[in-house]
Amino acid sequence: MKYVLKVENVVKKFGDKVAVNNVSFSVKRGEVYSLLGPNGAGKTTLMSMIAGIIEPTEGKIEVLGGDPRESSIRAKIGYCPQEPVVYDNLTGLENLMFYAGLYGLSGREAKRKCNELLEFVGLGEYGKKPVRTYSGGMMKRLNFAIAIIGDPELLMLDEPTTGMDPRARRSVWELIEKLRKEGKTIILATHYMEEADVLSDRVAIMDLGRKVAEGTPEELKKEYGPRAVVNIELVKLKPEAIESIKRYASEGRVMVEENLLRVHVEDPDEVTPMIISELIKHGCRLNALRVSRPTLEDVFLKLTGRRLIE
Amino acid sequence: MIRWSAVKAFIVKELLEVFRSKEIMFWMIAWPILWVLLSAYIFVPPSIEQPMTLDIGVINHDIGSQAPMNGTYFIEILNTTEYKGVKLFRIKVYKNETKMIEDIRKGRLDGGFIIPKKFGENVTMGQTKLKVYIGARDVQSAQITNAILRGFVEGMNKMISLIKIKETLKYIPKNVREFVRSWSLGIAMPINATFVEVKPKVLMSRATIIGWFTIGALGMSMLYSGLSIGSLMVVEEKDRGTLKRLLASPMTSTEMLVGKTLAGLISLAVMSLLVIVAGHVMCGAKIIWNPTRLEHWLVPLLLIVVALFTIGLGSLLSLITRSVRGASALSTILGLMLSFLAGVWFPKWMMPTWIQAFADFFPATWAIDAIREIMVYELEMKEVMFKVAGSIVATVVVYGLGVVAYKHLLRKYAEA
Repeated sequence: MKYVLKVENVVKKFGDKVAVNNVSFSVKRGEVYSLLGPNGAGKTTLMSMIAGIIEPTEGKIEVLGGDPRESSIRAKIGYCPQEPVVYDNLTGLENLMFYAGLYGLSGREAKRKCNELLEFVGLGEYGKKPVRTYSGGMMKRLNFAIAIIGDPELLMLDEPTTGMDPRARRSVWELIEKLRKEGKTIILATHYMEEADVLSDRVAIMDLGRKVAEGTPEELKKEYGPRAVVNIELVKLKPEAIESIKRYASEGRVMVEENLLRVHVEDPDEVTPMIISELIKHGCRLNALRVSRPTLEDVFLKLTGRRLIE
Repeated sequence: MIRWSAVKAFIVKELLEVFRSKEIMFWMIAWPILWVLLSAYIFVPPSIEQPMTLDIGVINHDIGSQAPMNGTYFIEILNTTEYKGVKLFRIKVYKNETKMIEDIRKGRLDGGFIIPKKFGENVTMGQTKLKVYIGARDVQSAQITNAILRGFVEGMNKMISLIKIKETLKYIPKNVREFVRSWSLGIAMPINATFVEVKPKVLMSRATIIGWFTIGALGMSMLYSGLSIGSLMVVEEKDRGTLKRLLASPMTSTEMLVGKTLAGLISLAVMSLLVIVAGHVMCGAKIIWNPTRLEHWLVPLLLIVVALFTIGLGSLLSLITRSVRGASALSTILGLMLSFLAGVWFPKWMMPTWIQAFADFFPATWAIDAIREIMVYELEMKEVMFKVAGSIVATVVVYGLGVVAYKHLLRKYAEA
């Protein structure tokens, strides 16, 4: 089966409020697909429908060829919501054992699997401690372990790193990378553009319940992002050098501010060495070099007129 | 189809949470045991089966009389009168009538006698006067003192009459002696009544009264604990943020319901056992469970019936509560209120008529009463069958409605 998930013209209304508005997309096996958008974009509602928690008002969702509201389909989905889904008075191991039971595991097999997962998420030595003693990051990692207890074919991660410090965030990214290498299909809902950029094969940009764009991060940046800018700080600038580098600039855009040159380019990796070479040839001496590339934040700004985090 | 692994996961999780929560442990175990102890040692103290001793003042103006039944002898009788091995009176002899009446007024005495001059002589030869004061420390003690002192004087009258008749008959010719004896007895005691105390079996001893209260305390904690289990079933998962994750798992709503209900039944069974053992061992309650008698096997069934009834009722309650705090508070208040109003913990015959009518139609009361009747009154199967059948039917209806409420709430909170 090529597609693990198919979302077709899905609409979800809560009373008069439209939370998800006619969204369609498909996710291939082994792909990491991100839903990128600010809070209130409809990502969590969409995830809840894909996980089989709630029904779409209109449209159709097909997971692994079936309806996610069926228990047998949900058994193949791992869902990691934003908030901790653990019981404070139970230990990490007991929490995992509970969820293992819900996925049909029991006895020694369940215990072995739970201990393996605790090790996998880096909680091996904390498994017998009550969850109420865990830090926020540890809770998130336990949430993560719970999401994969059923060895899911489709893993859904809703804002898995929200509220984490950069180090903890990096460790979750490493976990996602490990699972990607295992060939899991992952849907990631996030409002961190860097997270979507680093982890995703494809990204759907969402705003106000709608999907406003879709593609690989590079495609999106290329299509909707601004040009890259090569910023060169010079010790000595010679005017004739400016003319000579204009041929490398996109639409000839070269801006000069005292000793700083800002060159707008299509492909910075290709033209930056040529620009440097040209400047040196004209007797310019370089002080610093910085390349500004377009981000998904720029894409979102271009598409919606707003920033991702405001 | 229900998967046992999911049901078992819920049972284990719920029990771990219950037995690790100090608050739940207090309400489920400590509180009912505390009630049993309070009932046993305050409402039914060990002294309840002993007769009371009255403090009585006496002024004797018949000092030095040579008559057989003189004032001094009367005081001696007062001093030595016993009932069930306990002295009936504690006597204090006064010289001054004003002082004695003052002591009665101040509640230092329950009553007093003033024995007049020539008391012994007049008793022997005809009729004497005797002034009896009855104290009133409170309405009830005044009635009791009145009854005891009247009973004592009546007893004395009867005894003296019989002695007089016996002495008189010695001077009566044999041929008419029997007639005169009967005639005289008829004058002295025209009605020779025999008083027999008949109490309900359950109230015969302190042990049975404590047995009644032990089952009552058990019923009370079943009510608020069961209501709490039922009302928290969904809202607790919602408040914790775990509900949506549970719904995203392959678990079905029926598996969660069965798991949570069975966990509730197990905790309530443990609680019932501990309360019964505490009542029996710590307080000496008369509670009998004889496995060779068929009707005694109805007790575990009835406990399950009460538990399911209250869990179902709790589930219905959850329709009007929105948070764990609200559900817990409402369950506890309603459970305690029902314990008193439905005659579960407090005897319903002590309640106003309209409350008795309510208690008569409350199915949990039927089941609790049936448990009492089997374990304390030792009634037989046929005598409790009506209540057992009624409570089972009511439980099926209430639990069924509870399931509908539970499913409705799951849908509602999933969409929230």
